[in-house]
Amino acid sequence: MDHHVEQPSLSSDEIRSLVRPDHVHRRAYADAAVFQLEQERIFSRLWIYVAHESQLKNGGDFVRTRLAGYEIVVTRHTDGKIYVLQNRCPHRGARICMADGGNAKVFSCPYHAWSFRSDGTLDSVPHRKSYPDTFSFDDPQNHMQRIGQVASYRGFVFATLSRNPAPLIEHLGPMTEVIDNLVDRAPDGEVEIASSSFTLEYRGNWKLHLENAADIFHPSFVHNSSVQPARRAPANASILDQDQTREMLLANGFGTAEWESIQLNGLPGGHAFMNNIYNKGVLVGQDTDPVAARYRAVLTAKHGAERTASILGMNRFNNIIYPNLVINAQYQQMRVTVPVSVDRTLLHVHCFRLKGAPDEIFHRAVRFLTTLGSPMSMIFSDDMEMLERCQQGLEKDVGPWIDISRGFGMERHGRDGSVSGPASEMPMRVQFKAWVDYLTAEAA
Amino acid sequence: MLDYETQRRIELFLFEEARLLDNRQFQEWLKLYEPQGIYWMPSQPGQTDPLNVASIVYEDHAILAIRVQRLLEARALVLTPMPFTTHLVGNVEAEETADGEFKVGAAFICVEHQAETQKVYSGRHTYQLTRHNDSFRIKMKRVALVNCDGVHTPMALPL
Repeated sequence: MDHHVEQPSLSSDEIRSLVRPDHVHRRAYADAAVFQLEQERIFSRLWIYVAHESQLKNGGDFVRTRLAGYEIVVTRHTDGKIYVLQNRCPHRGARICMADGGNAKVFSCPYHAWSFRSDGTLDSVPHRKSYPDTFSFDDPQNHMQRIGQVASYRGFVFATLSRNPAPLIEHLGPMTEVIDNLVDRAPDGEVEIASSSFTLEYRGNWKLHLENAADIFHPSFVHNSSVQPARRAPANASILDQDQTREMLLANGFGTAEWESIQLNGLPGGHAFMNNIYNKGVLVGQDTDPVAARYRAVLTAKHGAERTASILGMNRFNNIIYPNLVINAQYQQMRVTVPVSVDRTLLHVHCFRLKGAPDEIFHRAVRFLTTLGSPMSMIFSDDMEMLERCQQGLEKDVGPWIDISRGFGMERHGRDGSVSGPASEMPMRVQFKAWVDYLTAEAA
Repeated sequence: MLDYETQRRIELFLFEEARLLDNRQFQEWLKLYEPQGIYWMPSQPGQTDPLNVASIVYEDHAILAIRVQRLLEARALVLTPMPFTTHLVGNVEAEETADGEFKVGAAFICVEHQAETQKVYSGRHTYQLTRHNDSFRIKMKRVALVNCDGVHTPMALPL
């Protein structure tokens, strides 16, 4: 890993000194020692989303991803349980699995052919007789290491390296509502992650993405280059997507009243969300839209009109489950942040199929994924450019403090945490309060 | 096999497209497309389905026109400074199909230089071309990047 530091970690006082109520020190984004501490105290201790159960339906199904400093395979074993295994052969240390996911009866190391079952236990070694008498197949040392604990919430699989974690449900807090809402939108009560997704990389700190996802002030500036051409373009000219792409581009050009009505929410633990952004056309499910009408009918048959209205009425945008998950339930979208080094981050961008919903609803989710999550997105590529420019600026050791003061002192207390208008940087202050708490917490 | 002259005219058409992109003549580039022409860059190797599988780009003329406006006038952040590119097209193999159109395969390499970064893209183009006066129009261009399902940094310009 780049920028790896093997040195005593920062003291709690040093961490506290990096965050003022309305300013943050550049080291929070650019210091490899801070990143190392984040890996130990945030990405090792908190519940981290690692997979969706629809990827792990059968025994032997697996997904390869990262958890803190480890590369892991998340598996469904034949005993029905989910395991998180370090993707490293205990023999010579080689990476074993190179596929992103799939089904495997055994994981076999290509170097000297030690083979492992999908619960990590050792299945076979060649030339058994040349190993010492003390060599045991039952010795966990000879297994792919089971690291961490696993818990699921309605199909979303989280893992933690903490030995004594608080229950997952406690970490999620009120954010369970957005997972509930995503799943409840499926008439069959189940969502399935789409087989296609994007992995994007930006040269910047992982926190920059979460802050950007909680920031509704930047779109007028950053996305002007797609808003203006979309405004000049004729409506319904595309033969492909019922104007969905143009509407998504237009949506970043808020009218004043529309923008002022957006509310930001910051929750304990660093979670955040905002309400309603896209409120036109096929993304909203207007009554005039036959696909939306069919979908609503299926959902109503299942839940009744009142509950259906409540499910479809939840219109929250960029639901951030700290520290690595952003969910947009109404568009069946999800982004997963994977920090690689202090200045390098991967984003896995996914969408879901609502089981039991008309196919066209899934096509729209796929279209949404292409429009916003593709590396050639006319929207998100500009966001990524800004994240990289922030990192470039923050790496310079001149003028160490950056500003998160907008709306300071103007937030109010809501049911679940702080509430503010769209201009506020309250969500970033909430994220940094949680960040300090996590980094200065006693050993878990 | 196509006659030499038609084969040659198809090659020159592809070279013209590459030159227009390199010269940033994006509006002229878009004119090479049929009014309902499609530019498709799949996200998966061998992808045949643009509805159930996400694409890096799946846009018809109307959406491409927005993209071109963004490239030309609005100066997207990801395009500042504007990158320089060399689009190279080769190994051109063309055949005429029953409906009088042409199916064309070609290998491509594109080097994109922007600020301190140089990137290389490569893969395979597949075209459906129709006859248009003495030249052709693009009914469909499919751009299969060798790393289509890999890790991507933001991509600025069409390939």
